[in-house]
Amino acid sequence: MTRTGEDMLYRVIEAKELPALVSAFMESYEVVAPVKSGSAYTFEAVSSFDEIELNYPTTIASPKKYFLPPKETLLEYDATTNQVTNFAAEITPRVIFGAHACDINALNRLDLVFRDGRYPDPYYIARRKATLVVGVSCMPTETCFCHLWDSDEARFGYDLFLQDIGGKYLVSISSVEAANILEAACNPREATDEERIEFRHVTRKRQASFNKDIPDIQEVAMLMDAFHSDPFWEELGKRCLSCTACSAVCPTCFCFDIQDTLDPDGKKGHRERVWDACTSPQFALVAGGHNFRPDGRNRVRHRMYHKLNGFLANHNHMLCVGCGRCVKACKANINPIEVLKFFERKGAEDAE
Amino acid sequence: MAGAGIINTNQVVYRPRVVVVGLASCFGCQLQITNIESHLMELLGQIDLTYWQLASSDPMPQYFDVAIIEGAVTTQESVETVRTLRRKADTLIAIGACATTGGIPGMAGGSLGLADRAAEVYEKGSLPEACGEMCVPRPISSVVKVDAEVRCCPIDSYDFVKTLHRLVYGSNRAQLTSTLCGECKRNETTCFYAEGTLCLGLITRSGCGARCVNLGRPCNGCAGLSPDANVDSARDACVRYGVSVERFDKALEMFNQFELDAVLEQEQAQKAQDKDEATTNQASSEADASDTGSRG
Repeated sequence: MTRTGEDMLYRVIEAKELPALVSAFMESYEVVAPVKSGSAYTFEAVSSFDEIELNYPTTIASPKKYFLPPKETLLEYDATTNQVTNFAAEITPRVIFGAHACDINALNRLDLVFRDGRYPDPYYIARRKATLVVGVSCMPTETCFCHLWDSDEARFGYDLFLQDIGGKYLVSISSVEAANILEAACNPREATDEERIEFRHVTRKRQASFNKDIPDIQEVAMLMDAFHSDPFWEELGKRCLSCTACSAVCPTCFCFDIQDTLDPDGKKGHRERVWDACTSPQFALVAGGHNFRPDGRNRVRHRMYHKLNGFLANHNHMLCVGCGRCVKACKANINPIEVLKFFERKGAEDAE
Repeated sequence: MAGAGIINTNQVVYRPRVVVVGLASCFGCQLQITNIESHLMELLGQIDLTYWQLASSDPMPQYFDVAIIEGAVTTQESVETVRTLRRKADTLIAIGACATTGGIPGMAGGSLGLADRAAEVYEKGSLPEACGEMCVPRPISSVVKVDAEVRCCPIDSYDFVKTLHRLVYGSNRAQLTSTLCGECKRNETTCFYAEGTLCLGLITRSGCGARCVNLGRPCNGCAGLSPDANVDSARDACVRYGVSVERFDKALEMFNQFELDAVLEQEQAQKAQDKDEATTNQASSEADASDTGSRG
């Protein structure tokens, strides 16, 4: 992904041109996009534009899986000779078509960890480089709170961003690769003044559509520290089902475990990286048998801390992007909105 | 035992002697071992399989290293079998829901009581001799220490191989106790609770990959309750999603009756203890009062 220049390019295409754009991508890439799956939506590889549900509310899990697969082989080995036999990652050139702003912001968070951090991850970087991201604008669902963490707008981290302005799209163009494909497949033209006005109109409409029952709390990271020992964490934590659904659907949970697995012959094997979760009871279990976070209270609080406090201190961004997926996934009703509501209650008590 | 079979330059130094024993079960988990099919010979090359009724009529040898047990303990005779196996084997592996939770035979426990349950099936006083001296059906781990368990009904063939490898070659991999819902989210299947349908994934141990849910069926808990299962919170979730708590509790009995009975017993013991303490406290406070009275 290369920036085209100092200024972002904006062009307009008609909605009816989208199938041609997707077809053009399909010539050189696997295209993954939101599709209907039962009563929900998921990101899946598609073979035609007709399968794509671009007006999807949200998906069960995020496109994180295309950069950090739930299970990936890091290397293969021969246990009889104690040698690594292969460590090439399987990389598929891919377009993620239809990512929402929250998910693009989530990818930018993952970049901070796996690409720009002290220990760049070659597997992640190879996938990120081989993937084009085409964003699409959205309207908030009742569990969305991306606006609270400044994640309702994607400023970078994508190749194209499609802003729906009614029958047509205002397209932000951010890479030469994607610009060339857009040029070849569609008729991108300069935006008219009316179209610019319509863009501002839909943006305002989106901003006004967030669920007002989700409290907008200032200084959340500071409040996390202030109420670190509050009984609230016991109330919240003792509900935890220890299922790790929260981190499985989270677009920014990136913790992993590494496991060696022998093939059935007992001679060859592979080293796998699998998703781990700080809400897993064994996550903080160390050699010798001590568990640093042995109960729900400690585990849930730790997870919320990383999302709403710790990452901010290190990377100047909340790790939570407010996508709202954990709100639906957690059957015990544990999620950042519950934390915000707690802070709101505390604020009301103080005011009394 | 762990590490005894470590490979040295393409030569297996030592092949552990293995026996496979079936107790009260359908033998389906033993069949799952044969279902490894293309890898079966590879597996047999790594062990010395000395006893397996499913494959040979040869009697059980005097000495062996690994005992693999399928099925629940349902009679005094099987209690003795399990104890003998434990004494002789360095490593004992329980395979399948019956052996790890009591499983389907375990349903014969519960509030009705074993004798009444038997009376439902056989006429009073005509219990067949083959029933032996019956006991409440139970998992192997309630009789002897178990070194490893391969869960589910039936077991996953590869899960079995992995467990055998872990014990034969050694492994420090943590055994996870998280519950199933996380696997459904990794599979991105829609949650049954969203449509008000009962599913036991909320409290059932993960590890199977949620294969029933992948096939469109709710989890019925064959992997057993996780040691970290939060049954109270799961009941609250049922209420929130319009699923009957009574049905949830009833569904749990299919694979978890033995554990539910044990939990109930503990709770009753705790209650009795609390009551005793309360009585003692009351008595002592009365005594205190009379002491004060006498001093006053």
